[in-house]
Amino acid sequence: MESYPLANAESVVARARSGDPAAFEALYRAFESPVYNLARRICRTTEDAEDVLQETFFEVCRSIGQFRAEGSLWGWIRTITASKALMRLRRNKYRDADELPDEVPSAKREDTALRMDLEAALERLGETSRAVVWLHDVEGYTHDEIAGMMGRTASFSKSQLARAHVRLRGWLGEESAS
Amino acid sequence: MTHLTMDQLLELDEPGLEPGTAQARAHLTACAACRAEYERLRQRQARLRALPTLRPARDRWPVVAQRLAVERRRRLVQRAAVAISAIAALLLLAVSLRPAAPARDVEGFAAEAQIADLMERSRALEAAIGAAQPDQRVVDGRTIGVATDLEARIADLDRMLEVQELDAPPGRGDMQRVQLWRERVGLLNALVDVHVTNARNVGL
Repeated sequence: MESYPLANAESVVARARSGDPAAFEALYRAFESPVYNLARRICRTTEDAEDVLQETFFEVCRSIGQFRAEGSLWGWIRTITASKALMRLRRNKYRDADELPDEVPSAKREDTALRMDLEAALERLGETSRAVVWLHDVEGYTHDEIAGMMGRTASFSKSQLARAHVRLRGWLGEESAS
Repeated sequence: MTHLTMDQLLELDEPGLEPGTAQARAHLTACAACRAEYERLRQRQARLRALPTLRPARDRWPVVAQRLAVERRRRLVQRAAVAISAIAALLLLAVSLRPAAPARDVEGFAAEAQIADLMERSRALEAAIGAAQPDQRVVDGRTIGVATDLEARIADLDRMLEVQELDAPPGRGDMQRVQLWRERVGLLNALVDVHVTNARNVGL
């Protein structure tokens, strides 16, 4: 799992706790990219991702007193980011491709001739399944943790992940010959 | 032979042993197609983790900083309001516990405010007289007489005020002091007229 060390993290956090604006900005500069990246991988648009970035750091600066020093600073910020991004998804109520149907279309019915790159294939997934793929496969969250953040069950998270991988496999032209 | 499903392949990497995982592992060992599928899955996951980090096109820090500043101001105002309310409540409580105090206090505050105003006016008039430099001017005998009389009366008032300040118990004689200060201001006004304007206009 990727981490984003911040030089003098303890000092910066201590100053931020006392309300030092320079420390707040230092936190922002250190974690701006990973926060935006996670938000953008979950949200549909760059505008939504930028809003999540903004809301996340507003929350981080307001709640820095609640951060426990023995934990990972990035882990704490990442959880806030994921929650904000998932909240944004729920608020926007994008339902078009979120709930994958029980019967997954066969790869042959999909455009297997078109070999997508991974970015395009990921973008093509429904928002919920894309969020599950990213949170599980990239950020390393467990299905229980994802279920908690989404307000769903672990089984829901597992099935979203499996179906998303079936689709990705088809779009990327990775179907097995057998 | 039934190959492993995507769910089963993903389950192989999950922590904890789900029912059927051992059987799936056994199948994976024996089935080359499933091993290839499993390997493709792992490669796909590795490629996902290797995707480049996306970066925001705009710097959003100024917006965040502005919101934080607004929030901070709002909290300060809230705290100040709470503090003021608490002080007001304490004052009210103190006043309600001393039933005799309010009427006198209100009267006392009003008198003090009037005296402060009159003292300020006295100082301003004395400054005006000082600026006119009366000792260095050539004036007639009548003017000198009027001015001397006024100064003597002012001196009398000052002595009376001194006595009031020293002898009157707190809260008593406030209105008397106000009256004395009013008279002092009136006399100073007359003295200003004598020295600065025209001694003939003073009708003493």
